[in-house]
Amino acid sequence: MNIERRRKAENIIALFLSSLAAFSGISWLVFILGDVLIHGIGALKLSLFISDPVPPGVEGGGLRNAFAGQMLITLFATLIGVPFGVLGGTFLAEYARGTRVAAVVSILSDIMVSVPSIVIGTFIYAVLVKPLGHFSGWAGATALAVIMIPVVLRTTEDMLSLVPWTLREAAFALGAPYYKVIIQVVYRAAATGIFTGILLAVARVAGETAPLLFTSFNNAYFSLNMNGPISSLTATIFQYAMGPYDDWHAQAWAASFVITATVLLITIVGRILISWRLK
Amino acid sequence: MAEIVDIEAKGLNFYYSGNVHAIKDVNIAAYKKKVTALIGPSGCGKTTLLRCYNRMHDLYPKNRYEGEVIFEGRNILSKDVDIISLRSRIGMVFQKPTPFPMSVFDNIAYGLRLKGIKSRGELSERVEKALRNAAIWDEVFGKLNVSAYELSGGQQQRLCIARALAVEPEIILFDEPTSALDPISTGKIEELIVELKKNVTIIIVTHNMQQAARISDWTGFMMLGELIEFDKTEKIFTAPTEKLTEDYITGRFG
Repeated sequence: MNIERRRKAENIIALFLSSLAAFSGISWLVFILGDVLIHGIGALKLSLFISDPVPPGVEGGGLRNAFAGQMLITLFATLIGVPFGVLGGTFLAEYARGTRVAAVVSILSDIMVSVPSIVIGTFIYAVLVKPLGHFSGWAGATALAVIMIPVVLRTTEDMLSLVPWTLREAAFALGAPYYKVIIQVVYRAAATGIFTGILLAVARVAGETAPLLFTSFNNAYFSLNMNGPISSLTATIFQYAMGPYDDWHAQAWAASFVITATVLLITIVGRILISWRLK
Repeated sequence: MAEIVDIEAKGLNFYYSGNVHAIKDVNIAAYKKKVTALIGPSGCGKTTLLRCYNRMHDLYPKNRYEGEVIFEGRNILSKDVDIISLRSRIGMVFQKPTPFPMSVFDNIAYGLRLKGIKSRGELSERVEKALRNAAIWDEVFGKLNVSAYELSGGQQQRLCIARALAVEPEIILFDEPTSALDPISTGKIEELIVELKKNVTIIIVTHNMQQAARISDWTGFMMLGELIEFDKTEKIFTAPTEKLTEDYITGRFG
């Protein structure tokens, strides 16, 4: 009887402590999101999306240049990063499966995932910005692609490894060559998982600032020229938040809100796809 | 004996990578349009032997065959054999159902498309024929565009049999096809196998001795990589020559 009571008491204490830890963690998140929400929604205006920045001190203006630049950089980063990531992951999970090469590349990608993004920014600065003599949208997209590749590669590898071997054997047993087995059967079986990995990788790079500061830099004017410096939301938020003008601060809040909401949306879609896949 | 040998292993040895000697000097024939069952305790090499017939072991590095498997006068273990065409003539059905992540129709059409058949009319015709031959047409004819994953386990297995049948192979290898199924589905598959032997040669690996006794014409008993005894099924189950066979089928070990 006594022991039972003690167990109950221990259970209550454990429950209390773990709940406390969970709530204190969540409360910071709610605090940050709430802050962005309150300041951001207040500053949201249509002009934010359709007009370009005006000189400091002049009323109005928006961040059309930054939205366009951000989308362009992210799009090209995805176009560069996804093929490398998916094909690399395919190599590891299929052709090099079980080899030492595959194990080494896998571990290296895991390390790459946790390399601070500013290091990748400076690396691209050294190989693409310095030799060419100017910042460019291509350098920015490349930096983001380099961040994406290991993420997509590892997810692809994991998702392909989850496809049971008997499924491949069944396709082989009908006389299919390996590349057809991969493209027609294995990719289909792993499609949702791979797509989710790509979405999460896009969400991850969409919020990066540091690698862009060294590569695409920033641009106060509207530009779609990937060969020159190009504006991005994150670099603009950084610049505006550090600036002395209230107008800038408000726009930085609004931009923060938009980018947070977008990343959140992409992540939620990714998670829903995962749970749908595992059903 | 009026039986015609369809495929025959002669002095067959097989080594898994790392020199694990899994098949030891096996000589066994499978007769045309008959069911040959391979029985024996777990790890005796019956599945390994089965996978020699369609060179499934080639998928994994460092596996090694020795000896011969003669099919239509040729040794299919020789290096110059086209494995892809070999596999379209010797089909396989696995332990667990392995439907592809696509519609019922596309599952059956998969092997046909691999063979280069593109005409919609011919595909439909041959898909229907395969599904009928696998005794599943009545259950799926309204669901051809539905994902194969939505079928029950037993239906999925018959779908896999239909998929193997669609390319009209001479031989079908069954690797414990009913071990993941309930008794009713098992019954249907057994009836189907007996029906199929009108047209194809069947080699089946089974853990279930009653199953071997029910559906096979010939039975091979294997142990530790060796073929202990091979004879007509009724002989194996009523008057085996070897003491080991008798011990196994009477349940003294295994």
